[in-house]
Amino acid sequence: MIEVILTALVVSSGIALAAAGITIIYMSTETFNFAHASFTAMGFFVVYHMLLLFGGSPYYYFPFAALFTGLVGVLVYLTVNKWLIKRGADMVTLMMSTLGVDLILFGLINHWADFIKSTIPESQPRNFLLRNMDPIFNLGFIEIPARIPISLILVVAIILSLHFFLTHTKFGIAMRTTIENPTLARVMGVNTDMVYLTAWFIGAALAGLGGAILSMIDTGSPIVGIRYIVPLFAGAIVGGLYSVFGSLLGGFLIGLSQQIGIYLVALSIGSQFIAYKPAIPLIIMVLALLFFPEGLGSLQAKLRGRLFTKPKVVGGGGK
Amino acid sequence: MIEIPAWMVEILFTFGIFLIITVSLNFEVGYAGIPQFGRVLAVLIGAIVAGAVPGRLLVAMFNVSVEYGGEEIVPIGADYANHLINFRLVDRINNEILGVNPGLSIAMLIFTLLIAAVFGALIGYLTSYPALRLKEAYLGITLLAFGDTLQLIARNEAGIVGGTQGVFIPNFFKWTGVGSIQITNKILAILLISAIIFLLVELIGKSPFGRSLKAMRDSEAAAKVYGKDISRLRGYTLMIGGALAAIGGALYVSYTGSMDARTFTRLTWTFWPWAFMMLGGTGNNVGMLVGVLFFALFRYIIVAYKTVLEGFIPINTAWLEYILIGLIIVAVSMFRPQGLIPEKPKTILKREEIEGVASSTSEEGA
Repeated sequence: MIEVILTALVVSSGIALAAAGITIIYMSTETFNFAHASFTAMGFFVVYHMLLLFGGSPYYYFPFAALFTGLVGVLVYLTVNKWLIKRGADMVTLMMSTLGVDLILFGLINHWADFIKSTIPESQPRNFLLRNMDPIFNLGFIEIPARIPISLILVVAIILSLHFFLTHTKFGIAMRTTIENPTLARVMGVNTDMVYLTAWFIGAALAGLGGAILSMIDTGSPIVGIRYIVPLFAGAIVGGLYSVFGSLLGGFLIGLSQQIGIYLVALSIGSQFIAYKPAIPLIIMVLALLFFPEGLGSLQAKLRGRLFTKPKVVGGGGK
Repeated sequence: MIEIPAWMVEILFTFGIFLIITVSLNFEVGYAGIPQFGRVLAVLIGAIVAGAVPGRLLVAMFNVSVEYGGEEIVPIGADYANHLINFRLVDRINNEILGVNPGLSIAMLIFTLLIAAVFGALIGYLTSYPALRLKEAYLGITLLAFGDTLQLIARNEAGIVGGTQGVFIPNFFKWTGVGSIQITNKILAILLISAIIFLLVELIGKSPFGRSLKAMRDSEAAAKVYGKDISRLRGYTLMIGGALAAIGGALYVSYTGSMDARTFTRLTWTFWPWAFMMLGGTGNNVGMLVGVLFFALFRYIIVAYKTVLEGFIPINTAWLEYILIGLIIVAVSMFRPQGLIPEKPKTILKREEIEGVASSTSEEGA
């Protein structure tokens, strides 16, 4: 049981970070980003490819995974999203454009896997597991693999630095202003274009980092994004889609319930239900939407006095 | 008897099946403005019906038995889908019953499509619960989640349609001949049904119901002001769209002869139709025709000229296909969001006619 909980914590950290990325992009640009699936998969592949090339510990390459996907996110913004926002495209068009981007990235990631295989013949880019490379700390009564403290430390560090960024830096405050009222922000001289670009960078980088964390526990392959997209969306939606911290919370709820819930179900009813693990995030998401449509973000907003949340009704704003 | 050449079969098959799916999607998205990101749900239920119902029914009707575990059994429950039993059973059905009985074959095909439509409508009715309460991205993701869940069930419950082993579908066209003649007949049947569905949706679109859907899409408030019941309109739309998509799913597996839940991915059965629809022109059925035909030809060309393409683009054509379809979606949403053939705005009466009507009514009033 303790092992199940520890594993669940790592999976949840990865899902929570990537879900927070979805929310950051959605809050600022109103784009529901399907390409997030591929961003996460890219996190897997950056870590794996660099590990093959340079060796050492997989953790060395986590920053590169975040940086690389962040830059891909910026590229997506500059080539596609920016022009659609300028034209005032509706939400469904924005969503569909990221679906197109996702298909392109999916094709490219598959080609990337082919490339790794052709240059490094002994590699397994369509089925790799980095879990065994993880150093294990022996605390006497329990053995803890490094991925557990590292993923939790990463989540806490991201929360703290995002908090600092959004409340104590000039650009962070400008970002919150833009999210609340883009027109007013522009009047006040905020470069909203830069804000959107930063949002895409942070959002995509979080997806890459989430993917890197997940690569330490799950089997990596080009289709990993397709598997993770639903828990990621579920985490973001359960979180309420208008609060970064709500979606971190939502990601943890989804990840923990998926891992621990299926364990309990298998234990009490029967192991044939393990195959239904992917259904748990869906059920939680649907329940959350039907009974708690404001999301976990609203809970946090009540507690924290709407500090980092986008108010639901923005009078007269609009892009 | 005409024979469709082999190279055209793949194009016409893709065209016929995806025309049905895309027209049903366009009915919900283009006409009624519902973000249907779970098209695969209704398609899959149609395929499940085709995989589960007609075979069992024929087994029960004709007492078809097979030898299993040392004894003769007539499997109509979960054991029908057992992969050790199913292929022999369907083989017997095809050879002994459907192959020699054209009337029954046609009746069973029509019956299967009808049952599929009923289940598709039922699924549409069930999805109207969230569709009335959620908006835009939230609804889209919920519908997507429903589709994934059903696929998960079909894949894991081996007793329905064989799980990952799949089941075989009775061949309703066995009596028409063998080889390319049979394939020609199958293709003609698919094209006939997709033409009927196309005309049906076109007629519905021009009817008062279709016009109120478009009114609802453009402004819910305005539609409400004119006394339209929004929840009823949305419910009917989802039911009709679901029924049509289910027919498409049932036809697809009836053509291929086997049903494997794993082939019903959201990519192929939700996102592709979205791409076809966007390319053709959302809200316009003729656009669907163009969009689907374009993609059917496009896919054929990529597969046919695989080796040539790989010569100058060093990417496996399987991945190249994803990249190109992705590029088309991005390009359409960026440069031509209205699609190749945009929806025509509803023409109003000519000025003289309006003046005529106005003067006649004012005379009446005077």
